[in-house]
Amino acid sequence: MSPAGKGSDQNDGEISPEDRAEFKKRSAELGRKLEAARPGEDEVAKSAKETANREVLGRVLRLSTELIGGILVGTALGWWLDTYLMPQVFGAKTWPLMFIVFFLLGSAAGMLNVIRSGMKMKTGPSDPSKGPAVRDDEDGDI
Amino acid sequence: MAAGHGPIEQFEIKELVPIELFGINASLTNSGAYMIAALGLIFGFLYFSTGGRSLVPTRLQSISEILYEFVATTVRENIGTKGMQFFPLVFSLFIFVLVLNLFGMIPIPGVTFTVTSHIAVTASLAILVISIVILYGLYKHGLGFFGIFVPSGVPIALYPLLIPIEIISFISRPISLSVRLFANMLAGHIALKIFASFIGLLLGAGVWAILAPLPLLLTIALTALEVLVAVLQAYVFAVLTCIYLSDAVHGSH
Repeated sequence: MSPAGKGSDQNDGEISPEDRAEFKKRSAELGRKLEAARPGEDEVAKSAKETANREVLGRVLRLSTELIGGILVGTALGWWLDTYLMPQVFGAKTWPLMFIVFFLLGSAAGMLNVIRSGMKMKTGPSDPSKGPAVRDDEDGDI
Repeated sequence: MAAGHGPIEQFEIKELVPIELFGINASLTNSGAYMIAALGLIFGFLYFSTGGRSLVPTRLQSISEILYEFVATTVRENIGTKGMQFFPLVFSLFIFVLVLNLFGMIPIPGVTFTVTSHIAVTASLAILVISIVILYGLYKHGLGFFGIFVPSGVPIALYPLLIPIEIISFISRPISLSVRLFANMLAGHIALKIFASFIGLLLGAGVWAILAPLPLLLTIALTALEVLVAVLQAYVFAVLTCIYLSDAVHGSH
C-alpha cells in the first residue's frame, strides 16, 4: 500500500473516500454472509443432541432382547441338562430340577445384561471429551 | 387376501439358479442374489468414490469419508485405539447389514427381499463375531481369557452362583445379537405389509373406502420408521460387535 514513488499526486497509494466506503460496505457484507453460512451455536448444540439421542435410542432398542436372550439361553441349557446330559450320560433323573435352576440363573443373567447396558447408557460413551450421553444422577450412586 | 399377498410371502426363499454341489443344495436363491448385489454395490461405490482421492472431497468421496469416520469413531469409543485392528471387520459388518436392511426398503412387488429378516443370516454373522471374540481372546490372553467369567470384587463364596450367570450371560450375547436384528426386520416388514393391505381391503368395502387414507398415512409413517430402524439396527450390530471385541482385547473387566 506504500506510494509507488512517483509522488506527484497526494492521493497516490491512498484510496479515495468513495472507494473506502465501498470497501467497508463490501467487507461488512462479507462478514454478514460468513456469519450466516457458519453453523450457529444452536445448530452445533442441536446436532450434538441429535447424536446423543441416536445413541440412546440405539441402546434402548437393545434392552428388551438382552433380557430375553438370557432367559432363553438359561432355560435351554437347563432343559438340555435335564433331558440329555443328566439321564443319558450320568444316568440321573433330575427333571425338572435343572430346568428350574437354570431358568432362574438365566433370568439373573438376563437382568445382568440389562443392568450392564443400562449402566453404559447412564455413563455414556467412554470417550471423556464427549461427555455422557445422558447426565449422571446428582447423588452419583452408580 | 389373494395368494402371494399375505404378510409373510415376502420372506419366502426362491431358488433362482438350481445348483447341486456334492449332494448339498447350493442353489443361488433370492437371498444369495441380494447378498451378491449388496457386495457389488458396496465394492463399486467405495471403489469409485475413493478413486479420485482429492484433498477437497467430491460429494461421493465425502459420503465414504463420513462412513469411515463414523465407524472409526464407534470403534475407538468402544474398544480404544488398540481396537483399530478390528476396524475392517466392524466396517464390513456394518455396511453389509446396512445395505441389506436398506435393500429391503425398496418396494418392488415380488422382488424385494430382506436378507436380514432370516435368522440363518443374522445368526451366521453373530457366530462369526463371537468366534472371533473367543479365538482372539484365547490367542491374546491364553486361558486367562476365561477371567471374564469371574466377577471382580465379590466374595469367593458367591462364585458358584455368579460364574454360571456370567457364562449364561456370555452365551446369550450371540443369541440376542442375532435375534434382535432378525426380529426387528421381520416384525417391521410384517407390520408394513399388514397396514398396507388394510388400504386395499377398505377400498373394496363400499362406504368404508372413506377410511382408506388412514392406513395409508400410517403406512407412510411406518415406512419412515422402518428406514430409521434399518439404519439403527446396523449401527447397534456394529456397536455390540465392538463391545464384545473389547472384552477380547482388554481381557477381564
